[in-house]
Formats: sequence, structure tokens, C-alpha cells
Amino acid sequence: MPVFKTPFNGYSVKFSPFYESQLAVATSQNFGILGNGRVHVLQLNPTITEITSFDTADGVYDLCWSESHDSLLIAAVADGSLKIYDLSLPPTSNPIRSLHEHAREAHGVDFNTVRKDSFLSASWDDTVKLWTVDRPTSVRTFKEHGYCVYSAAWNPRHADIFASASGDFTARIWDVREPGSTMILPAHEFEILSCDWNKYDDCIIATASVDKSIKVWDVRNYRVPVAVLNGHGYAVRKVKFSPHRMSVIASCSYDMTVCLWDYMVEDALIGRYDHHTEFAVGVDMSVLVDGLLASTGWDELVYVWQHGMDPRAP
Amino acid sequence: MDNKAQQSSGGSPPQKPWERAGPSSGAAPFKPPSGGSTSDAVEASGTAKPGEVVSTGDRNTIVNRSTVGRPVPTRPWEQQTYGSSYGGYGSGLNYNSGYGTGMYGSSGLYGSSGMYGASGGFGGSYGSGLYGNNMYRGGYGGLYGGGMNGGGMYNGGLGGPVGGYGMGMGGPYGEQDPNNPYGAPSSPPGFWISLMRVMHGVVNFFGRVAILIDQNTQAFRMFMTALLQLFDRSGLLYGELARFVLRLLGIKTKSENVQFPGMDGLPGPHNPHASQNYIEGPKAVPNSEWDGAWGNGASN
Repeated sequence: MPVFKTPFNGYSVKFSPFYESQLAVATSQNFGILGNGRVHVLQLNPTITEITSFDTADGVYDLCWSESHDSLLIAAVADGSLKIYDLSLPPTSNPIRSLHEHAREAHGVDFNTVRKDSFLSASWDDTVKLWTVDRPTSVRTFKEHGYCVYSAAWNPRHADIFASASGDFTARIWDVREPGSTMILPAHEFEILSCDWNKYDDCIIATASVDKSIKVWDVRNYRVPVAVLNGHGYAVRKVKFSPHRMSVIASCSYDMTVCLWDYMVEDALIGRYDHHTEFAVGVDMSVLVDGLLASTGWDELVYVWQHGMDPRAP
Repeated sequence: MDNKAQQSSGGSPPQKPWERAGPSSGAAPFKPPSGGSTSDAVEASGTAKPGEVVSTGDRNTIVNRSTVGRPVPTRPWEQQTYGSSYGGYGSGLNYNSGYGTGMYGSSGLYGSSGMYGASGGFGGSYGSGLYGNNMYRGGYGGLYGGGMNGGGMYNGGLGGPVGGYGMGMGGPYGEQDPNNPYGAPSSPPGFWISLMRVMHGVVNFFGRVAILIDQNTQAFRMFMTALLQLFDRSGLLYGELARFVLRLLGIKTKSENVQFPGMDGLPGPHNPHASQNYIEGPKAVPNSEWDGAWGNGASN
């Protein structure tokens, strides 16, 4: 499948949970350091074409699709705001909502796939906020991390549990009904940039760190990791469990590669794609098509390909 | 692939592959999920705190319950430059709360910068200090607040974590808070406000660069090398451009002064501007290759 060129540097990519051929991409000008941002919504068949795009006044670091409405998108913007877009409305009527409570850059968003009525935002102001789509203010704020929170991820099987990954070298497990975190995983010796839950075992979580490794943890016994996946040459920027295969993990890194892992086998690295020519910072796996991957990076390109194929192949 | 909804319209996406696979094995160490909506669950637990805004000061007073004793890096945007007289984070807290009460900027301390912080405070439902307290980028209240400066005109509050820049503002503009509903309508941002915005942008810039460096020192070095090369190149370009402009104005730059003098120390016969060439006295340098860079060489 051909690539899509974005005018700005890619930051995040997400497949629609409703349509197998829709993809959203978050981009930021000047590597996300200075300038504007843009959210692209792409159509995948047979070539990648743009359905619509939305401009923002600051870079867009992450986005997620609503699980309750097929046309809603939520973007995490570098000015600390979260913007909700409705694709069924023209760009001039968007965003339909701008939620601004974070004091620093919003770096991650994740929609609750179980209850489908709420989402989380992770920010450089050290907090995670819980929002519902029907309220203009956050429901509550989780402030315990000692440094930037880079990502937050809902447990795919438990509506009240989520995990967060922070630059304070810990990943934390939270229950939205508890005042504080329920578990603190001192998972790495360096900053943790991303985390994700196993979709088939709600006790397994993966963390990705600046120490170039991905670690897989069992929250029932988190003294030692279940697996340590080494192979990236630089910091691992994102980690994502496969929606289709229990032990498969996708990751992307500052070493410009996208890797696929099976943490249960000895030679865990089962795929390595070096199609990006700059930092690869966004990766996703389609929940509707087994093995379909998408990635984006600072080379301003969005690739969509089937595992095992060459992403650059036309 | 086609673009049909995978499931009939019910406001719900197709079932996830893992939902079809049945429950996961083993007892999870989590409390059983609550029924109802997420907000109901949170409110029932008594932990709900709608619209809480965490300021820098607040955040730093929180006891870090991390089990890891390692120190975390200093946030680049919190390296306060206004010295110890403001006493770091603790005083930052007071500073914020003081600001929150003076929502419309009547506190002379913040003066005109109040227009940023307090703009959200205008927003009706947000008025109760949510944005008022949130001097940091609070100005984006436009969408809900419809405040005077709504629409994020200033793209949020200045000063913010930088603190220091806001400070300097207090004096001269203390009486001119444009958010004062009883005062004159807001005037266009003045020099200091523009400067503050620039400084805010600069701090944001370096904050983000520093975070990226944090995330990967080695990889970032490659990026910075490229960036420095770019700066270097643009520097050269400006140098050449400056020389060109000076030449158009008839001013000789130093490099062109090094002309090969004519016989017997007289000005070279082919150099119409020879007299200017002797400002620094003739130099006994043989005609070098780069003398021709601006076309003089052709006449030599």
C-alpha cells in the first residue's frame, strides 16, 4: 500500500475501531518543538487518501478514536488542551470541544474500550486526567507521578483499571475508584515512555523505556519482569499489544525502526521494519484486520502494511 | 477493505477480538468492575474532583510516593531564573493562590498579565476559579467561557511555569487589566506583553527540546548536529548577503580591501575604487583567488 506524506512530522497513528479502512494521524510542525499541528483522517483503499484534516495552533502529540461514536476523534495537543473533533461536521465547525485543564503539554490519550464513555489524558504536568465525553470538565485527576506522564492505557477487560507510564521511572496501575495508585512498578532504570495491556490477559502489561528495552510484567507478581525485549538501538517510543495475537507486541523507536515481538518465544524479535528515515514515533495495529500495521515518524510519512510485507512495496 | 461499518449502527464498534475469546484466565488483583457509567463509578467512590487544575506549585507539594528513590530530572521549564528571592516552589504555590483570588487581575502583582490568566475566569461556569486559578495557559477558556479574550487569542497564559516573566510585568501595567469588566475595553497587547509571549514561546521551545533530549540523548545528538549545520549554513548565507548589500552601498568590506596594489605602490589601474582600498593601507598580498568573488577579479 502506498505511503501518505504529511506536511508536518508524524507523531501518532490510530486505526478506527469502526472502519477497517480509516486511519487518523497526529502531526506536528518542526518536530513538535515549535509551530502548528494537524490531525489527518485517511482512507486506506486502494491508495491512501485524505478524508479530512484539522489544524491546531500547537503540535498534536497523540490521538484516539471514540469507542462510542464512529466519527469522534480526540487529540492531545502540545498546548495542554484536548480537542474533540467530529468528522461528520465540516472543519470549520471543529473542534466541537476543547478541554483545557492540563498545565503542560498533553502527550497521550486513550479511550475506554470497555465502558466506552470515558477517556484518559496523560500530560507533562505529571498528571493523568479522566474525562467523559458528556462533560466539559475532567471527572478527576490522578497526580502522583513525579515527572511527565507520557502515556496512559485502559485495561482492555476491566472498565475501572488503567496504567500510566512516566518519566519518573515508574509505571503505575490505577483504579478510578481509588484515591491513589494501586500498584507502582519501578519498571526501568530510565524514563518510561509508553505502556500497554495484553488484550488476552488483563494482568500482563508491557512498558517501553529510554533504556532501549521493552519489559513485560505480570501485575500479580511484578518483582521481576516476565520478559525483557532487547533489540532496539535507541529509546523505545511506543509499545502496543496485538489485538489478535496474545503474545505479539509492536514497538517503534528512536532508532527509526518498527519491531514486532513475540514475548513468549526465545527469539522474541519476529519482525523488524526499517522503512522510516527519521525517528519512528507512532505505531498501531488494526483491531479489525489481523496483521495490519501502521506507522508514522518524523520523516513525515505514514505507512500501512501487512505484517511480513515490505512497507515500501507499492 | 471497504468502508462499511462492521456492525449495524448501534453506536458501538465491532466486538474486539479479545472479547470474542472469552475471559482471561487467572484471578486479577483488581476490585470487580462497577456497574453504570465511569462518572457514576468515580462519584460513588468519593474520589471525583471535577475540573481540578493542578498548578506547578500544587504539584510540587505532593508527596512523591514513588518507591524509587532516584531523583528525576529537573523540568526544563521550571528552572527558575528570577533567583532565590521568590523561594522556589513553595512560594510558587502562594503566588498562584494569590493570583486565583485576584481573578480579574486586580492584584497589582500580575497586572496586565492577568488578562491571560483570568480570561477563562469569565466563562460563566468556569468562573469559580477554575481558570481563574489556572494562570497557566488558562486563557483558552474561550470555547466554554466566551471570555473577553476567548478563543485562545493569546494561546493561553503567560508566565506559567516560567514565573519570572510574569513578575516583571506587574509594575507598569498594574492598573490596566483589560479583563476588568468595569474598565475600558482591552487594548492591543503592548510591547511587554508581546515580549512575554515571545519569552513564553522561547521557554516552551527549550522545554520541549530538553524533553526530547531526555528521551534520547544519543539519537537527539544526530538531530541537533543536523540543526547546527543548518544554522551554520544560514549564518554563512547571511554573511554573504551582508557583504553584497554593503558592496551595493559602496562600502567595501575588509576582505575586498586586499587588492593587489598597482606598480610602485600606486593604486591599481584597473581598480576604480582604489582610493577606498587604502583605508587600512595596502597589503602586500598577492592576488588571491577569492578576490574575484564579487566580480572585481574580472577587471583585474
